Amino acid sequence: MKVAVVGCGQIADAHIQEVRRIPGAVVEAVCDSNPHMAEQAAERFEVPQRYTDVDRMLTDVRPEVVHITTPPESHLALGRLAISHGAHAYIEKPFTATVAEAEELVAAATRAGVLVCAGHSNAFDPAYLRLRALCDEGVLGDVVHVDAAMGYSLTGPFGSAMMSDPAHWVHRLPGGLTHNNIPHPVSLLLPFLPGERPRVVARGQRLRPERYGDVRDRFMDELRVMLFSGSSSASLVFSCRTRPIQLYAAVSGTRAQAIASIDGRTVQIVRGASMPGPFAKVQWTHQAYRQSRGEFYGSVKRLLRADLHFFGGMHELIRRLYLAIEGKGEMPVPMAEALRTTRVIEDIVSQCRLAEEEA
Amino acid sequence: MGTGLTLVTGATGFLGRRVITRLRELNQPFRAVMRPGARLTSELNEQLTGRDSRGELAECSLNDQAGLDRVLDGVDVVLHLAASKSGSAPAQIANTVVTSENLFQSAVRAGTPRVVLVSSFGVIGAGQVPTGGLLDESVPMEPHPEWRDPYSFAKHKQESLAWRYSRDHGLRLVVLRPGSIFGPGQNILTSRIGVNLFGLFLHLGRGATLPLTYVQNCADAIVQAGTAPDAEGEVFCIVDDDLPTSRQLLRRYRREIARIPFVPVPSVALQQLAVLNAWYSRRTGNHLPPVFTPYKVSNMWRGLRFSNEKAKRVLKWTPRVPMADALRITFEAERHVGQAG
Repeated sequence: MKVAVVGCGQIADAHIQEVRRIPGAVVEAVCDSNPHMAEQAAERFEVPQRYTDVDRMLTDVRPEVVHITTPPESHLALGRLAISHGAHAYIEKPFTATVAEAEELVAAATRAGVLVCAGHSNAFDPAYLRLRALCDEGVLGDVVHVDAAMGYSLTGPFGSAMMSDPAHWVHRLPGGLTHNNIPHPVSLLLPFLPGERPRVVARGQRLRPERYGDVRDRFMDELRVMLFSGSSSASLVFSCRTRPIQLYAAVSGTRAQAIASIDGRTVQIVRGASMPGPFAKVQWTHQAYRQSRGEFYGSVKRLLRADLHFFGGMHELIRRLYLAIEGKGEMPVPMAEALRTTRVIEDIVSQCRLAEEEA
Repeated sequence: MGTGLTLVTGATGFLGRRVITRLRELNQPFRAVMRPGARLTSELNEQLTGRDSRGELAECSLNDQAGLDRVLDGVDVVLHLAASKSGSAPAQIANTVVTSENLFQSAVRAGTPRVVLVSSFGVIGAGQVPTGGLLDESVPMEPHPEWRDPYSFAKHKQESLAWRYSRDHGLRLVVLRPGSIFGPGQNILTSRIGVNLFGLFLHLGRGATLPLTYVQNCADAIVQAGTAPDAEGEVFCIVDDDLPTSRQLLRRYRREIARIPFVPVPSVALQQLAVLNAWYSRRTGNHLPPVFTPYKVSNMWRGLRFSNEKAKRVLKWTPRVPMADALRITFEAERHVGQAG
């Protein structure tokens, strides 16, 4: 598989590393509008060719798949360009800045007969895939409700970069920081919800003190969302205050509950107790103890097998996408699902902005 | 031209604050560049607004080309200190190299004031010097910066770019390569001494001499480089006199600050550890990052000698705070922090 990466910022490192772990896949070229960014990626990862002009790269290299890791406002234009050269595309989240752009991109891919995959990589994290399997196998019964929560640090590597620069692209997204991050929890929730477009109730807040007197004081840093669809519901919490920083999804079913921690890469099932009175509490903790012990040994085994890569979900998504391109598997994130996620995100952002304006 | 106005980038940083102090001491007019929204320290505020201050503040992002053109107006000397010190390689390239190019372009447009670039020891190809050899300005730059840490990589790219602007666009360039800059507010146990691994300090430097420079001495050298005749087109290594060894510093730290558990790692073991770490990282697709590589080991933790002779001769610089005093001040400050904590 001949691969090219467009956009050589921080997340491009993860893409290049994960592509390199896939047998038969080679990153042939990197491209960035800034020559220094393209150069650093090419030198550090020994990528043979580097460009500052995407069109020229696509013409010269003719990649089978292009990873677009640029700011979201450029996804539509770059995606269309890749498609026009007959290339498939992996597009980092958020898929696009608006639903209209997403629809245009998917329509262009459909017309050209190529695949465009949204980078919902956490939905392919091993822990989350185990959670999905538990549901598919009926262990949890019918899904009643799903929770997803994401913590975020404004002083982390990305947070501090964004906070130090009022011209950072995150501030240009309609929903700012939350817009850039909620594709992760939304992509964990939606597979459990039926229907094309769940009903959204969303409220965003800015709870940090004002400091800059510019756009950096305006974006939401706390978000609460409820989603309703058929007999199922979901909730989403995005918070810049909760600690530890982690992303998790919890499913409450008619038989049992389960929680998958993406950061811990663990799954815990809660089945309840069958013993009477105070013995139930002992049985409950014994269950938790046994599961924790199992998860611990599992983690140690994966550590020894060198199978705890930070971007394990991205690796699995890329692997499945490449198989789909070769006609050996299903599209991991169907384009309709990318559209559905973008619509829900737009609904969330619109509601929050509306509430803000009313306030 | 001829106003003597000095522009300082990175003015709010650990080193930048001392550069401002020195300019104020010398009664030189200066313009301190601060990122929009960055916190103005009380110290810098005092330097700018204090009696007889000839300083002024300019809020400008180094990504703002038009803004840079404005702040460079009427400037004779640029002291370019701003650089990213942590984060991923792409982030450091973006915040150190891309921004520097913006500055160099504006400097060229402004009629090329003298630009003093504060580079780093990390750009020097120390691996080319035999153990016990002299590391000075004659040693070529690192041939494989991409094999070093992100900071050294970005600084190497930054300095290379500066030389390209000097060659191709007539940028009047002076390059300073400070060793490890230390002083109150900076942890004295740098990676040149060792690394903390799960609460255990691996002492990697052993008996190697440390290329240290006290923050105020380094600031003096930077200011001197702005005006010293015969400095343009030259590189200067900035280290203080009477350099301690890694072992001496660790002993003192354990005696005066905290008795941290440590393990001295013999150089043979360090080499083997580096080979193993690099092999494992490569084989497992970066499952563990290559903290140690044979290349880093040969560059970072070997016994070398250092010279500041050229800086003294051409810049007329002398480290005015003796090493013994500089270490005493730094350790006292560290003790205060420890007690406050």
